[in-house]
Amino acid sequence: MIASRSLFPPFFAAGFLLLLIVLASLVYGAGPVPVSDAFAAIAGGGTGEARFVVTELRLPRTVLGLLTGLALGLAGALLQSMTRNPLAEPGLLGVSAGSGFAVAVAILFGATTATLTTVVAQLGALAGCALVIAATRVQGLGNDPVRLVLAGATLTGLLLALTSMLMLMDQRAADEIRFWITGSIAGKSLAMLQATLPSIAIGLVLIVLAARPLAAMALGEKAAVGLGHHPGRIRFLITVTVALLVGSATALAGPLIFVGLVVPFIARAFSGPDIRRTLWLCVPIGPAVVLGADVISRLIAAPAELPLGVVTALIGAPVLLAIVRAGRMPSL
Amino acid sequence: MPDTRTALVNLVLLLLLVAVVLSSLSMGTVQVSPLDAVKALAGKADPMTDFVVNELRLSRILAGLLSGAALAMAGCLMQTLARNRLATPGIIGIDNAATAFAVASVVGVGLALAPSAMALAGAAAATALAFGLAGANGTRGYRFIVAGIGIGAIAGAVTQVMLSRVAIDAANAAYPWTVGSLNARSEQSVQVLAIGLVAGYLILLAISRALNTLQFSDAVAIALGTRLKLTRILGLALSVLLTGLAVSVCGPVGLIALLAPEFARTVSRPGKVPLTASALAGASFMVIADLLGRTLFSPLEIPVGIITAIVGSPYLLWILLKPSKRSLT
Repeated sequence: MIASRSLFPPFFAAGFLLLLIVLASLVYGAGPVPVSDAFAAIAGGGTGEARFVVTELRLPRTVLGLLTGLALGLAGALLQSMTRNPLAEPGLLGVSAGSGFAVAVAILFGATTATLTTVVAQLGALAGCALVIAATRVQGLGNDPVRLVLAGATLTGLLLALTSMLMLMDQRAADEIRFWITGSIAGKSLAMLQATLPSIAIGLVLIVLAARPLAAMALGEKAAVGLGHHPGRIRFLITVTVALLVGSATALAGPLIFVGLVVPFIARAFSGPDIRRTLWLCVPIGPAVVLGADVISRLIAAPAELPLGVVTALIGAPVLLAIVRAGRMPSL
Repeated sequence: MPDTRTALVNLVLLLLLVAVVLSSLSMGTVQVSPLDAVKALAGKADPMTDFVVNELRLSRILAGLLSGAALAMAGCLMQTLARNRLATPGIIGIDNAATAFAVASVVGVGLALAPSAMALAGAAAATALAFGLAGANGTRGYRFIVAGIGIGAIAGAVTQVMLSRVAIDAANAAYPWTVGSLNARSEQSVQVLAIGLVAGYLILLAISRALNTLQFSDAVAIALGTRLKLTRILGLALSVLLTGLAVSVCGPVGLIALLAPEFARTVSRPGKVPLTASALAGASFMVIADLLGRTLFSPLEIPVGIITAIVGSPYLLWILLKPSKRSLT
């Protein structure tokens, strides 16, 4: 048996990196506030303008980014472990798109409150998860990662087409949906945060409950049954958790693709195949990836900003290609 | 040996296409009877009907017909070369890349080439990239397809970046390319497509025997006297050419390339690559989808790409999720 390496060095390294990125997220921006003023504002001094920009604009955005990254990273790791497919990612499998389409429908019918949007996004994510459940039950699909991903890509295409159709029907809703669908954590209110925090907390509790049985399931379903777990119940629990987390993230930031692929991919490189260790590492890495992408999105085209979803796609797609390029498909 | 079934299938599909074109000419915001539409085509109708049929509808339908045929032929070709019915240009990212390049041309980023040329460059670049990443397995195996999904995602993101960086007018001008529509076509692109389609079809007829042998294993194909490498390169080049030119006219309407050959294969004689039938079916599908988009929610016009996605995706999902004994890829 291979002795497992300690998790502490990578965990603290990722945590330190995250701290730096949080600082960068507060200090750098597309606006004209000098970096020194921003530092002063963090310390409690600085000009009024700098204080406003840092505490009123950048701080909420940073918190939103942290939560989005946390939720998407964990959801990706869970989904990959459950389907035993390293390419299973909420964005690629249509879960985010389902959530996005549901929110687009809500916007069309005039929904504006944060709570409603969050609930709708979570219901949409749950519907999107239906594909994953259906897929894992189809004979032979579990061993065929590509078919699952292709099915997800097709479902995403279908939902995007339906969303585009909604946008054609109402000009006002179209502007709102178009801004939201590319994925961004800029200019979102803290009310959204209050609406999603409970679900993310519930999701975390469910993960704590499901982690052990899920790790047992990695040994094979028979082994899990032998250890006293119920695979059907575990799958149900994981599906609900993924829907809660992805729905919250989508309500916060719009449908972000590839985050759920990149984060567990990096985490697994340090943690090995044990899902519990992977989940621990996803905690600092997820927020670091999303927030890092957000800082890049502000700086790369300053004084304008790129949509966050574009940056995560540009970062994530090469990772997908790298996974594919790396000889055989890594098995989970 | 006369092949009556192929001839019969092609004849029926041709009749279907004529019927579809006629109904598309006569239906719309202004209704014209099919008889009047034929008269207008012959130049013997009153000025009003003549204007609606010949000026407004004919060029649009021609563009749809040509691009549908080109996409379907490109799809059929790619499927044959890859020996995989899922390997169509849309799925492996060629459409998206061609779109990104065409949008770059429209919004004025980078090289100031015509959309046709840029779309071709994009299609060629995506194909080369997919091949490079697929490694030694070539078009066979899963890597080619997953690499294509990644390339498509990158190209889509690049398109978004360009649209978000330019003035709103330029972004609106490029919008049809992001969903697939016959509204943005330029007459020049349609002419280039027509020439490319005819040339491509003639070359394909010339190598159709070699293409048919590709359905067997490499060893059998070689034994039957096929020059494998030459046929593959020629076929792939034609597939890229047809896709690029079609995208420069209608944008990424990728599912036509999957649905039309699929349909053609079920009605044609087994053992042959149904290129002509695919082209005819693709042309019909495109014109029908555009007709639906124009009339279904009139006066609202749904872009043709949205219609094909809504109709075609469930079918593709069904193929993918259907339990099957052998792997599709």
